[in-house]
Amino acid sequence: MKHTIALGLLVATALAAAPVAPQAEKSHVAKMTLKVGDTAPEFTLLSDQWKTVKLSDYRGKKNVFLAVYVLAFTGG
Amino acid sequence: MDSPAANAAFAKQISLTFPLLSDMNRKMLKTYGILKGYDVQNETYEWALRANIIIDKQGIIQFVEEGDSAVDPNTALTMCTTLHKKGDAK
Repeated sequence: MKHTIALGLLVATALAAAPVAPQAEKSHVAKMTLKVGDTAPEFTLLSDQWKTVKLSDYRGKKNVFLAVYVLAFTGG
Repeated sequence: MDSPAANAAFAKQISLTFPLLSDMNRKMLKTYGILKGYDVQNETYEWALRANIIIDKQGIIQFVEEGDSAVDPNTALTMCTTLHKKGDAK
């Protein structure tokens, strides 16, 4: 796996109990529109080392494994 | 949303060797369609879904998994290995 880089995206929110919403309230999921074969949209994010990381940094160099983690309990 | 500082402490604690990224302005999450929202009493609350996405060296999406099944990374890891072997074969 030396050519694969894993990027962990920690998205801990304080809304752990929110999915159990009363019926009267409206929910909307921003449906993941991306599918296999699509070009991945470019992004720029801040790493834990306070450096900007762009998807294009890895173009032609490494495969990218993007794991979106919600409520990862980082202590943040 | 966890800050880079919180992520740094966490990465050190569990000796991670890959970067942990923060989407503080939720831009990437919106672009990728991973934000889920609920309207409650005229307020919208949003949070991200769990997701595993694998993007190859050419920037093409090779694997997408979202929701509960994305909690287990094994399917994505198998896909990573396959992709890696494919790359070696070229």
